[in-house]
Amino acid sequence: MEYTQAEILQTVRMTEMEHLDVRTVTLGLSLRDCVRSTVGETAEAVREKIETTAARLVPVVDEIGEELGLRIANKRISITPASLVFDRAREASELMPLARAIDEAAGRVRVDFIGGYSALVHKGATRGESAFMDSIPEALATTERLCSSVNLATTRAGINMDAVRRAGELIKEMAGLTRDRGGLACAKFVCFANAVEDNPFMAGAFHGVGEAEAVINVGVSGPGVVNHAVRHAPADTPLDEMAELIKKLSFKLARAGELVGREAARRMGLRFGIIDLSLAPTPTPGDSVGEILEALGFERAGAPGTTAALALLTDAVKKGGAMASSAVGGMSGAFIPVSEDAAMIEAAQAGALTLEKLEAMTSVCSVGLDMVAVPGDTSAETIAAVIADEMAIGVMNNKTTAVRIIPAPGMKVGDVVEFGGLLGSAPVMPVNQFSPGVFIRRGGRIPAPIHSLRN
Amino acid sequence: MANEELIYRITRAVYGRLGAQADERTVEALVMDVYRAIEPAVGDGGRGAGAAGVGAAEGRADRLIVSVFGVDHPGIVAAVSQILAEARCSIIDINQTVVQGKFAMVIVADIARAGESVAALKERFRGEGERLGVHIYAQREDLFNAMHRI
Repeated sequence: MEYTQAEILQTVRMTEMEHLDVRTVTLGLSLRDCVRSTVGETAEAVREKIETTAARLVPVVDEIGEELGLRIANKRISITPASLVFDRAREASELMPLARAIDEAAGRVRVDFIGGYSALVHKGATRGESAFMDSIPEALATTERLCSSVNLATTRAGINMDAVRRAGELIKEMAGLTRDRGGLACAKFVCFANAVEDNPFMAGAFHGVGEAEAVINVGVSGPGVVNHAVRHAPADTPLDEMAELIKKLSFKLARAGELVGREAARRMGLRFGIIDLSLAPTPTPGDSVGEILEALGFERAGAPGTTAALALLTDAVKKGGAMASSAVGGMSGAFIPVSEDAAMIEAAQAGALTLEKLEAMTSVCSVGLDMVAVPGDTSAETIAAVIADEMAIGVMNNKTTAVRIIPAPGMKVGDVVEFGGLLGSAPVMPVNQFSPGVFIRRGGRIPAPIHSLRN
Repeated sequence: MANEELIYRITRAVYGRLGAQADERTVEALVMDVYRAIEPAVGDGGRGAGAAGVGAAEGRADRLIVSVFGVDHPGIVAAVSQILAEARCSIIDINQTVVQGKFAMVIVADIARAGESVAALKERFRGEGERLGVHIYAQREDLFNAMHRI
């Protein structure tokens, strides 16, 4: 037989028992040919393009999942940043037909999220982009599937602190508009430094301007698989051997993901884009990055040493994946969304995991402060300052960082916000009470770091 | 390697003419016919695209690995092969052991001429598995190739 029984057993165990799944197959779609002179015409062109190109996405992907015996959890779409598709608005309200058309088209093709209601304002905003940013809270509060992001900083441009300040206000606005749903709109809004153009994961996915017409990107995931292996390794296994173990698993996860992506692209007649290696947890027990960290030898995630362990994990995942595929892209590291990870929730509730420790961890993982709930009375300026810290980590370390923070309306430290589904439930975490007000009100730009001058 | 770029372009063109509702198998067959016809002219120089994979990874998309695990009792092999026979799938390789009353079997089946879809086949395995009290999994061979072979 071509494969040993151990190999076959391992695959069956991974797919059936350890939650190995392909987290998302995301169709990246350019909308640049949908630009029209009025928002109404643009919205119609956008609607038609999404519905035509993505019509077969869900059935094709479901069929592949069935044939391979591999669960493909989500089917999604990322689009050209919508602020580029219609840059003529001067008032936020003008953009609502566009936001609704995108959302409705996503509903028609039965994807669960569509990302790219986005603006790239890391160095400055056009008049259209200013109006666009103002439209984000209402757009997210009145739609179901729409996801939004703003790129506020890059290593090359520095940090646009005017936009950071505005983002803090926008987050407060969207929390207020979705007060009855725990501030749900904030869970669909990401602030980025060094945003990537081919990210398949929500809420931060958009189809960058350097991308092709339409591509299939895949986010593979297997915290459950890695967790199982780490947990069953003897407690005295040296860390270099643990890294080796994780690396080998990551190779297998990446190969399975690439197979799905190439097959989906072929059947849809599109190009295969990238595979994102990120370990992305779900609220299902066992399918947790927090548990992997704890299995490496901590009483709780967040204990001293967690940052080092996360560095080992992220690096091993990348090395295995890079060997497996030459189409690695997106974020490719480890996600640590608090609300979506059972062990992280418990660690936050036990006081082991603080906002500051999370911030430190983001310097070595793929994204940033993700799905973090803070008290509802946290000021816009404090939120902006938290974002600025995260942007600085990204800019100075030449990596992507992000903030998805929810000032949960009416809630205090110790309360829990329930979002349901993949978004999970977020324990409200304490925020430093000292004011960053004057710093944030200065506005302007934090200049690009010296190492941006590389030419 | 097959010329993936060319195949993508042909597939897009076919869908462009026939619309998104076009039957997938027909489109695939059509694309392969066109590709084979023009392949010598475009000087692919490679092995061309075999039945197994237009752009697919190595391994066979038309083979299924059926794995069966559970408590041993008479009739498991018969029942599983009966389903494969009825679906016109031939068995290429089979490996079966019983260790301490635990039954384990792996079958590599050729589904190229199967009379039903993989989904329908898996549904029958699910039903039969429940009746027999064993777990039956069926997954395309190329998944194993991707995960376990460099």
